[in-house]
Amino acid sequence: MRTIIIASLILTISTGAMAQHSLQLNFNYNVNFPMGTDFRNLTDKPAFKGFTAGLAYPVTDQFRVGISLGYNDYYQKFPRQVYSNGPGSDISAVISNSIQQLPLLITADYTLLKTGLIRPYVGAGAGVNFISFDQYLGEFDDPVHYTRFAARGEAGILIPLSNYSATALRIGGSYNYAPLKKLGVDNLSNWGIHAGISVPLH
Amino acid sequence: MNKLKPLLTIGVPAVILFFSSCKKDPLNNLTNEESRIYVTNYDTTANFSSYATFSITDSVTLVQDNQFAGRSFDAYDVNIINAMKQQLTQRGYQPVDKSAKPDLAVNISRIYSSSTVLFDYSNYWDYYGGYYDPYYWGYPGYGYYDPYAVGAYTVNSGGLEIDLLDLKNASSNGDKLVGIWTGLARGEDVFNPANGANEVSAMFAQSAYLKK
Repeated sequence: MRTIIIASLILTISTGAMAQHSLQLNFNYNVNFPMGTDFRNLTDKPAFKGFTAGLAYPVTDQFRVGISLGYNDYYQKFPRQVYSNGPGSDISAVISNSIQQLPLLITADYTLLKTGLIRPYVGAGAGVNFISFDQYLGEFDDPVHYTRFAARGEAGILIPLSNYSATALRIGGSYNYAPLKKLGVDNLSNWGIHAGISVPLH
Repeated sequence: MNKLKPLLTIGVPAVILFFSSCKKDPLNNLTNEESRIYVTNYDTTANFSSYATFSITDSVTLVQDNQFAGRSFDAYDVNIINAMKQQLTQRGYQPVDKSAKPDLAVNISRIYSSSTVLFDYSNYWDYYGGYYDPYYWGYPGYGYYDPYAVGAYTVNSGGLEIDLLDLKNASSNGDKLVGIWTGLARGEDVFNPANGANEVSAMFAQSAYLKK
């Protein structure tokens, strides 16, 4: 097993060496944190279930454009409480908020250094955000779905696996703008940290 | 472009499916007690301190898809009836036999719905005369009436429903037995006898206005 892993790694690095200008597949694990009062009223817990997958085409050695799809799953359960349901009506319930965001973005990123063991990069993206919001009163829910604008700005570092490899580890942070303007919630904007890998495709 | 095609046709849907499966299911993180909701509605024009006595129906009515389906008096029903009697007495109302012309009537129903679509709570009142003949409360020929605030709520399927009816003002209300308070319990294990008293207690805990 160990041999297979080492062999795969060598293969990835060596093939990457000849693929500096090929399409890149990026895959990140994200942890995202809610921002703003509205969002934090729904949940103030980080989304530990977050991923981003994307494809990037190198326009130059340092500049890439591409597409990315992200996913973040926010969840929080609140203890039983009595809520007003309008005049003359009250509901006692344990409320669970479940929010998923899938931003599909056109992206661009720029690597500040062409060479080096650590190569800082900055990036931005804009597109649509597929939002699913499900509020449970006890076991009863009424899910709603929205499609909204989304934008992302990010910065981080790329750590190539070798001097000649286009395969690199990606570590960074991002700000994700996610307007909603529904259900009394202005936005579901968040910031996040990510770690992943960028692999050339042949 | 040929390299992109399989990625877009297979890869992207696979990624979306993968991401979707990562959703934490809130239902898996709920106990049976946490799954239950308690809804109370009341007529905001009612003066609850103006009533002195009450009587509770001697059994629980079963309602299936808005149809009368029989009466029940099992361990759960006994617990609910006793809990209602205890709670109303603690709030200052006096239990009396229905022959003593009580001010308030208490009807208790178990509502079942076989439909998976949303069950409109107000439909329950549309057929109310089919579950409870006004004759039972000594008001033959009268009808039932629910103020909008009492009847308006939508839940998935049914549950335990408790209604307080104004008998005291039946004649002045245009020969109507007006519902002035309802309590609804829904969720897992709602008809477990061990939960009956807690369900009634929860309804009263959020109905501080319901007192003599």
